[in-house]
Amino acid sequence: MLRQIQAILLFICFGLLSMGSVYAAGAEQLFKFYCAQCHGLEGKGNGPNVTESFATDPRDFTDRAEMEKLSDADIKNVILDGGPSASKSELMPPWSKTLTEEEVDTLVSYIRKLCKCQAKQ
Amino acid sequence: MKSTIRVFFGIFLAATTVTATQAIAADGENIFKAKNCQSCHYTAGPAREKSIADQLAKKGPELWYAGSKFQSAWLQKWLQDPAVIRPLAYNSLSEMNLGNHARLAADDAVAVSEFLMSLVSSEVEAGVIKPKNHPKGRLIFRKKMPCSGCHQFPDRNKISGGMSGPSLVGAGSRLNPDWIYAYLKNGQVFKPFKDMPTFAGLLRETDLQAVAAYIATFE
Ligand code: HEC
Ligand code: HEC
Ligand code: HEC
Repeated sequence: MLRQIQAILLFICFGLLSMGSVYAAGAEQLFKFYCAQCHGLEGKGNGPNVTESFATDPRDFTDRAEMEKLSDADIKNVILDGGPSASKSELMPPWSKTLTEEEVDTLVSYIRKLCKCQAKQ
Repeated sequence: MKSTIRVFFGIFLAATTVTATQAIAADGENIFKAKNCQSCHYTAGPAREKSIADQLAKKGPELWYAGSKFQSAWLQKWLQDPAVIRPLAYNSLSEMNLGNHARLAADDAVAVSEFLMSLVSSEVEAGVIKPKNHPKGRLIFRKKMPCSGCHQFPDRNKISGGMSGPSLVGAGSRLNPDWIYAYLKNGQVFKPFKDMPTFAGLLRETDLQAVAAYIATFE
């Protein structure tokens, strides 16, 4: 009997855990689908598009010092309007017609997790 | 009298060619099924993908608008000798495309190509885009927009550009210029979930036309 209860409890715990990861996969899935082609699956700025002919290295999101110079609004704006809107390379695309604001906000928090850093206020 | 016979004969000939083409297309559909092509490609529109997960679950590109997208001479040849189009394996960012696509014998390729060319989309307006080395299109593709970051293209004597998108080397003989424009203008009809950003609304329609015309010159 105790065994059975244990098994059921374990089952419930696993259920909850996997629900948690489904939620987290939202941000991760967006990042891997849209951003990793240039920024790399781990956000290190080394995606498969970065070959010799790629003129400007994509931002390394694990570079804490660089990322702390940006506010969350800076990050959001550059995602929506692309590199040139922030005097950066045109190789950083504008995503405003592709992603919803909500998706962009999700990506901003995901990037903050990658850099393990605080936003510039 | 002679001319009436000629007209009749003409009509008869036209009618038989039309039915013959249809017969080849039907043949092609059977071959497509027999060779299990539909295990990786769907051929009935409209687009089915409802999420990123649906897109990632696909094993090959959708072909329901193949007749609007491709040029038939290219298609016939490619089915017999499929060269790599996407530098990376389909839906992968870490593995290369090994170039081991199924290949067809010449007569099967003709029939399958006839079938695929019969699959068209009403979203593609014919005769709008003529290939042109448009300075504006060139500027947008190479400098103003990130196109070259994700697509290989012919750059004088070498090939430049990124790897995540299909290579545009040879796009001039592979793609229908009108489809390129339709895809840039109204991409979600063909690909509701794609890792390429949407540029319609950011670039003017005339700019989209200029880029499409420019891509259509790629050898
Ligand atoms: C085609 C390649 C490409 C893709 C795809 C791409 N980026 Fe970028 N990104 C770049 C490049 C290149 C830079 C560096 C620009 C510079 O430093 O001039 C950059 C820089 C950035 C920056 C830093 C901007 C700054 O002010 O320093 C952020 C934030 C960013 N990208 C977020 C994203 C997000 C989020 C996605 C996915 C939705 C994404 N990028 C997709 C190429 C890309
Ligand atoms: C195992 C899955 C698989 C099977 C089976 C398969 N294909 Fe493909 N097909 C692919 C992939 C992946 C690509 C992309 C290849 C590339 O980019 O180089 C592709 C590309 C194509 C293209 C070009 C589409 C485009 O948008 O570039 C055509 C046409 C095509 N296949 C037809 C066929 C036919 C006909 C058959 C059957 C004889 C077939 N395929 C069987 C996976 C498959
Ligand atoms: C972030 C990477 C990225 C950028 C930037 C990008 N593309 Fe793409 N492009 C892709 C991908 C990935 C596909 C394939 C989408 C699919 O099949 O799901 C694609 C598909 C295409 C196709 C259809 C090719 C085929 O054979 O199916 C054309 C044409 C094209 N892009 C043109 C452009 C133009 C023009 C620009 C710039 C205005 C551009 N792309 C910018 C990634 C990109």
